[in-house]
Amino acid sequence: MNLHAPTPTAVDQMVEKAVIDLGIPPCPAILNRFMAEARKDEPDYQRLASIICSDVSLSASLVKTANSPYFGARQRVRSVNDALVILGLNIASRAVAGIILRKSFPTVPNMERFWDASSRFARVSGWLAQRFGSLELAPEDAYTYGLFRDCGIPVLLKRLPSYESVLHSANNETGLDFTQIEDAVLPTNHAIVGCVLAQSWWLPEEICLAIRHHHDRSVLAATTSPPPLLSRKLVAVTQLAEHLVQQQLGISRTQEWGKLGASCLNLLDIDESQMETLALEAAPVIAADE
Amino acid sequence: MNSVDSLTGFLNRFGCFHTAMRLAAEATGNRQTFAVIWLDLDRFKQINESFGHLIGDEVIENLATRFRPCVIGRAEISRVGGDEFVLLAPGFNREQAFQFAVELAGIVQEPLNIGSLTLRPTASIGVAIHEPNEDPLTLLERADHAMFAAKSKGGNNIVCSGDEPIPGRLGISLAREELSIESAMHEALETGGFSLHYQPIIRANGEIEAVEALMRCKLNGENISPMKFIPVAEKTGVIIRLGEFSLLQGAMHARALQDAGHETKVAINVSRAQLVSPAFTQALHAALLCSNVRPGLIELELTESLFMDISDTVQQNLKEIIATGVGLSIDDFGTGYSCLANLKDIPASKLKLDRAFVTVLPEDRRALSVVKAVTQLGHELGMTIVAEGCENQQQIDVLLEAGVDAIQGFFYAKPMPDSELLIWLKARSNKI
Repeated sequence: MNLHAPTPTAVDQMVEKAVIDLGIPPCPAILNRFMAEARKDEPDYQRLASIICSDVSLSASLVKTANSPYFGARQRVRSVNDALVILGLNIASRAVAGIILRKSFPTVPNMERFWDASSRFARVSGWLAQRFGSLELAPEDAYTYGLFRDCGIPVLLKRLPSYESVLHSANNETGLDFTQIEDAVLPTNHAIVGCVLAQSWWLPEEICLAIRHHHDRSVLAATTSPPPLLSRKLVAVTQLAEHLVQQQLGISRTQEWGKLGASCLNLLDIDESQMETLALEAAPVIAADE
Repeated sequence: MNSVDSLTGFLNRFGCFHTAMRLAAEATGNRQTFAVIWLDLDRFKQINESFGHLIGDEVIENLATRFRPCVIGRAEISRVGGDEFVLLAPGFNREQAFQFAVELAGIVQEPLNIGSLTLRPTASIGVAIHEPNEDPLTLLERADHAMFAAKSKGGNNIVCSGDEPIPGRLGISLAREELSIESAMHEALETGGFSLHYQPIIRANGEIEAVEALMRCKLNGENISPMKFIPVAEKTGVIIRLGEFSLLQGAMHARALQDAGHETKVAINVSRAQLVSPAFTQALHAALLCSNVRPGLIELELTESLFMDISDTVQQNLKEIIATGVGLSIDDFGTGYSCLANLKDIPASKLKLDRAFVTVLPEDRRALSVVKAVTQLGHELGMTIVAEGCENQQQIDVLLEAGVDAIQGFFYAKPMPDSELLIWLKARSNKI
């Protein structure tokens, strides 16, 4: 008989601790609770706010997000309640997911820069979706996709000591697909890991598929299913966002634009000369801090 | 009774039915025909959900304004549901009605500006022509069924009633149910409606052999039976996402149990659709990496439908699964497609006897003979034999006597959520 068997609460804490040790997030309970309430026919905003408020840093981050110029709040948001009203439930749910995602990888070294870059891609993607209304992309989907697109990378960095050098070669590869470099030496790749994680975070199917295929040139060029056109547009918008950010800030250089750029512009129906104007327009969005 | 729709000024459902009654009577008297055109917007629910009901209403009002000039003098138009319009066009034959429907589809597709977004909605349209002496309700129903047939072709389509094999009433209601299950599944996938429950499998000596992870779906407080949603998931390909979800959640849970001091194997169901994909093992590795669980604590249960055709890809996947250290078991053995040759070809270490052999015990001696023979054969091949669906002590007694190694069933425990499983395991380890 085991007298020291842990109680369920203790088990929860151990699981939580394990997750922190691992640095890998399953969908956290707080997000599940939030989503369950938000999706009711008549969600109770008070209850939603109290779920968010149970985590101080989450509430602070959500208020900060609502105040970012990207979401265009006219007056300053001071409370979680205000933030929920200003953002609307759809954007708020995605923003909450994004904030929790970022918080869930605290122990992976050098992750701050990674998340800064992801947040920037996400923000610029959202802006592009808004700018090109004819794309029929919801800005919050573009934003969420931008945040989650590369979430497989920290998992692999954490788990596989060899991944850092694989990542380096893949970033510099001009011929093969990024994931082909990973597949040659690893049993899986960051796109699949990211997709499996995103599925467990209840992200929409189109976003999960976009994550899974975001380096597949053949998929991006295709005109028929699968994956759905919406997924391909998401891939294109964030790839363009990444390119604009890299051009302007000269950070996290990759070879992806050379491989995917033409298909992306084609999907977005933009030509090279329009790109230049776009880069000027996007400059303040790219430069803005969170 | 009010017969006008307040948002559009068109007739409402009640007004539509009365007009149909009148037209049917007139048509029968004049030996004329008339057409019903049933138009339903595609993915309107999505518009409502993404932009709110106010915007949804704006879309409807906008469409109503566009329909009006095209309809005046030709048909009576009504709004019979949130996004459903019915047109009653006197004197129209099939061809004319179809042309009218094409025109309407074109109107729907014109870009619609909502805030900074431009939507291009589409519609599914069903057409039915009144037959002499036909009851107006039947006529409306035929148009509705045709619209539904258009929708099940993927939307943005026009179908004339009678033009193609529209399933009978039973077929329609089944198809409708499937469609509603499919949409419920998609909603559940994005709102945390799916979860795994775990059912323990107990060895003859009382130890835990494993727990089987079983998918559950709950939406708006209502449980949807796996008997209903699994077949629809298989048909629509959603099973792949559900399967990958189970892989990660199951592996995470095995790790959580391990951390809580229970080295318990978690058995996860894998569908045929997953295993025929060359990317399967990459997803398995992704789940193993994310959970950081010892692969030996994971077991994959292969469903019998896999045995229809064991292709090279499947063989390769099975080999790679074994190489990761994850175990394999054959589920539902003894019915359907499973045959003895599979025992030789599949590198499984466990065999689960189908419940069909168990539920008839202890009375059915012939079933018992089969159980004994399969158990002996399985043991010869070095496999563990599990009997599923045990509900009473007599069944367990004869099964254990027949040499079965472990038992799964309500008699020991029902499938339970992860939190309850921990309590159950703890209570059990305290007893031993």
